[in-house]
Amino acid sequence: MANFDQLSAREIAAGVANGDFTAVEVARAALDAVEARDGEVKAFLQVSADLALAAAEATDKARAAGEKLGPLAGVPVAFKDNMHLVGTRTTCASRMLANYESTFTATCVQRMLDAGATPVGKTNMDEFAFGSSTESSAFHPTANPWDTERVPGGSSGGSAAAVAAGEVTVSLGSDTGGSIRQPASLCGVVGLKPTYGAVSRYGVVAFGSSLDQVGPFGRSVEDVALAMNALTAGGRDPWDSTSQPVDVDFLAHLNDPVEGRRVGVVPALMEAAGLTDEVRDAVAAAGRALRDQGAELVEVDLPNIASAIAAYYVIAPCEAFSNLARFDGVRYGYQERGCATLAEQTSLSRAHGFGEEAKRRQMLGAYLLSSGTYDKYYYPAQQVRTLITADYARAYEKCDVILMPAAPRTAFKFGEMSDPTQMYASDLFTISNNIVGNGGVSVPLGLGAQSGLPVSAQLQGPAFADASLLTFARAIERSFSPDGGAPVAPAFAGKGGELA
Amino acid sequence: MPLTREDVAGIADYARIALTPEELDEMTAYMNDAIDLLEPIRAYDLEGVEPTFHPIGDLSNVMADDVPDTEVRHLPVDVALKNAAASRDRSFRVPSILGDQGGDR
Amino acid sequence: MKKLAEVLRDWEAVIGLEVHTELTALETKMFCNCRLSHDDEPNTNVCPVCLGMPGALPVPNERAIESIVMAGLATNCEIQRHSMFYRKHYFYPDMAKNFQTTQGPVAFCMHGHLDLEVSGAGAKERPDGTVEKDADGTYVAPIRILRIHMEEDAAKMVHVGGEEGRITAATESLIDYNRCGTPLIELVTEPDLRTPEEARLFMEKLRQTFLTLGISDCSLENGSMRCDGNISLRRRGSTEFGTKTEMKNINSFKSLHDALEYEICRQAEVLEEGGIVYQETRHWEPSRRRTVVMRVKETADDYRLFPDPDLAPFDLTDEFVERCRARIPELPDAKRDRYMADLGLKRADAAQLAGDPAVAAFFEDALAAAGEKSAETVTKVMVNLVPSYDALTPAQVASLSALLAEDAITFAQAREVLDAVNGTGEDPAAYVDAHGMRQSTDEGALGAIVDEVLGRCTDQVQQYRDGNKKVLGFLVGQCMKAAKGSGNPKAFNKMLAERLEA
Repeated sequence: MANFDQLSAREIAAGVANGDFTAVEVARAALDAVEARDGEVKAFLQVSADLALAAAEATDKARAAGEKLGPLAGVPVAFKDNMHLVGTRTTCASRMLANYESTFTATCVQRMLDAGATPVGKTNMDEFAFGSSTESSAFHPTANPWDTERVPGGSSGGSAAAVAAGEVTVSLGSDTGGSIRQPASLCGVVGLKPTYGAVSRYGVVAFGSSLDQVGPFGRSVEDVALAMNALTAGGRDPWDSTSQPVDVDFLAHLNDPVEGRRVGVVPALMEAAGLTDEVRDAVAAAGRALRDQGAELVEVDLPNIASAIAAYYVIAPCEAFSNLARFDGVRYGYQERGCATLAEQTSLSRAHGFGEEAKRRQMLGAYLLSSGTYDKYYYPAQQVRTLITADYARAYEKCDVILMPAAPRTAFKFGEMSDPTQMYASDLFTISNNIVGNGGVSVPLGLGAQSGLPVSAQLQGPAFADASLLTFARAIERSFSPDGGAPVAPAFAGKGGELA
Repeated sequence: MPLTREDVAGIADYARIALTPEELDEMTAYMNDAIDLLEPIRAYDLEGVEPTFHPIGDLSNVMADDVPDTEVRHLPVDVALKNAAASRDRSFRVPSILGDQGGDR
Repeated sequence: MKKLAEVLRDWEAVIGLEVHTELTALETKMFCNCRLSHDDEPNTNVCPVCLGMPGALPVPNERAIESIVMAGLATNCEIQRHSMFYRKHYFYPDMAKNFQTTQGPVAFCMHGHLDLEVSGAGAKERPDGTVEKDADGTYVAPIRILRIHMEEDAAKMVHVGGEEGRITAATESLIDYNRCGTPLIELVTEPDLRTPEEARLFMEKLRQTFLTLGISDCSLENGSMRCDGNISLRRRGSTEFGTKTEMKNINSFKSLHDALEYEICRQAEVLEEGGIVYQETRHWEPSRRRTVVMRVKETADDYRLFPDPDLAPFDLTDEFVERCRARIPELPDAKRDRYMADLGLKRADAAQLAGDPAVAAFFEDALAAAGEKSAETVTKVMVNLVPSYDALTPAQVASLSALLAEDAITFAQAREVLDAVNGTGEDPAAYVDAHGMRQSTDEGALGAIVDEVLGRCTDQVQQYRDGNKKVLGFLVGQCMKAAKGSGNPKAFNKMLAERLEA
């Protein structure tokens, strides 16, 4: 029989529903694959075998009872370790939360489970999602399945790597400045950051509350669409004030033709400093592929996008400082022992519980929010946000989506990007969409001509046009992935995971 | 004017992050590098531009009904306390606040 | 220290109040659906949101927003259609997130006012000539309200190991998050108050207003209504503000008055001796009748306020505001005026009855049972007798008022009757009859007693006729004694006078 890593989410759900195999068999295959592959990939911080088998058994029982199964019935999924799931720890890859037991389940996780998914485990990340390489995890780095001497990107590096290595079919990540799209690009999988508000943030440990958005990884656009249907089923989440209803079937429009539709290209971005030739060429090829399918390429301008990084590195640290203030070692989290006063306990718990980058971001935020400084940086950054939002609105009068790179280069080696501010600058292509709240998706374009590593294009769209983004992503996939999706990284494909 | 070591020590004190002398030096260098990165924001003339604090379009007036939930999200006291390093008498426990100055409300 | 009256001749006191009121009438907390706690065991009413668990998010309670809009309308505020919640940061574990969700520069309610009518002894605190007073010394003080904003209350901390749960010397503290997240409205006045009595009256009026709105139980004792006072002095005639101190731990109207009185006198003494008033927070100690320093504010606190990204902004609609307006019951001032105009009540009585919505409702029920013609007697009973009892019904008050109106019992007997029927529900008329207390006004029966007394007290009769009218009281007493308490003193009085003047 086949290895489960060769099956799409739709094929697994259909196979379980039809009785070709059971959900428990798929769960065992996935756990077996994790066993065989994760020693090297290290995508997981925690494998929830008991929860996975219990969920799969429930799915099989439901089928035996003649109940209608969910669209993700039996599909092995992994969750970034900033998402709560009762029965697991939620560590945010931080010493601060090393022993934190989830006291409730995040809405996004619950919706995946409600759709029948099998929860295989929690994945590694940059500590509290601060980073682009997953190297700032307090526990261990995660390897890129395409070259294990390289990073998987970040901050959702574990979720991207788990899908790229074929350990799970679908995973969830969170994207505050590119943390889904950039690791998807570096790992050669599809990663969607939906429009802000499309997926509930309730139960996802916050980094930048006005920037964070949860989204799925998959090896195909269809798998991502299937996950989006599950994540948006049931309408808006009443527990998240910024949640909005998404009343669209993401699968229904997947194979709509792109003929006659307009794809924006920003010439200045294609000349950006740091963008490698192989990425630029591949993205240009993606544009040609869309044109070949009848789409029209139009030039658009985003004049203020160069300031997006500056605006982001004001807003994100301020929100991070505020969101992480609650980690004082009192109600939960690392607590320094033997302190005589509360002030000492708080300062030492935070000093020793947080890693370097988490401390840096909070310090920067605490400075930028201080009185006097607020008017110099925070307020103007939010005004620049208005200008960037207006830039995009004008661009979308001329096009349906905008095509650009997701990351300026392919996966880099461990330790190669040691200067934090240099790392910040690499978020150039992804950050602006978090600033304005729009959706964006990374689509694999195969391997780079020079590096031989995965290269991706990014498509960005207007607010709540995420289904349309997937239509264009599918069009690119048709040209670049004739098999209907990206391959499992060859070093790991077929290692364990055989469906018994 | 760049932030001095003393400025950064003051911020660390406020943010309740104890820093060693070496960490303070590194943090000072980092903070000044990061602030340099933010310069484009200060170059704008933003007269009359409204800020966007919430990227949510026209969404406003989001409220919930005043109806108790004692089942779904309510946490029993043992669950509420289970991640706390120190507790006593159904309560979270902290050391003396002597020497601390709490804020006013 | 000098007395207040003396101090206020030379100095003008500039007082502002910050009043926090918990919306105890609501079912649930401000940003989650946990029940509001009363005397529950620690950490009974908690969820991820009010415990500040990572990943939890706030959603505002609609009834809390309605309540604050009602409070704003009732205090003549402008309702701000556009406003936002902000995060106010400080590291202290009574706030589970280490920030408080509150409002920024724009609150739901801005720029209101309440007019105080200051009369009686309290009006004398304000020196003549500093305000326009009526012939009887009454004056009106318009007090501007800067804002009323919406926020969440903090957790309760118990300090263990020290003396009387005080912070000093405590070795550890226990935190109970039951109260954390309770909806709280904070009202800030402009510094328009000039005397401790005005401050006390303002709080009283605010309490009456919020009680009438039904948004809180407004208990100063239990802390559901809390008041901080800011106070500074300046020389009469000066327009500049002096350095202010902030007064905390005020848990009764009397404490508010006395703490301010003490602080005015203390500051005057410091200033007159050439000293400096420091900007500091002071704690009122009722048992020692003094304020003591809690903390000195060297620099302004920097709370790193910024708009809360987790909470969508508010753009209140006309429909929302009008719905709130329609829910506002008749407020105490309007009720007082109606009692005066429609029932002919005296201003002080009308104000007393209208002030407390529970009292007003009781009064109106009693009046309905007794009939509007009995307004005078019912009012007399309500003002003079009812406040001493805790378990009377309006029907009992109506019945008692009827007995008094027809002179069937005396006022002294009325107390005796109420002592007996309080809490039993028994009809006072039935009680009076059962105990033979009903007083006779029958002129035939009483006449015989009067004649008997006049016949035997010839000395007093002569004194009366010589012009000592006071002796009538003695004769009434003799009649009452002879009647063994069942004769109506008014009737005796009338009959004695008639016979003596004849």
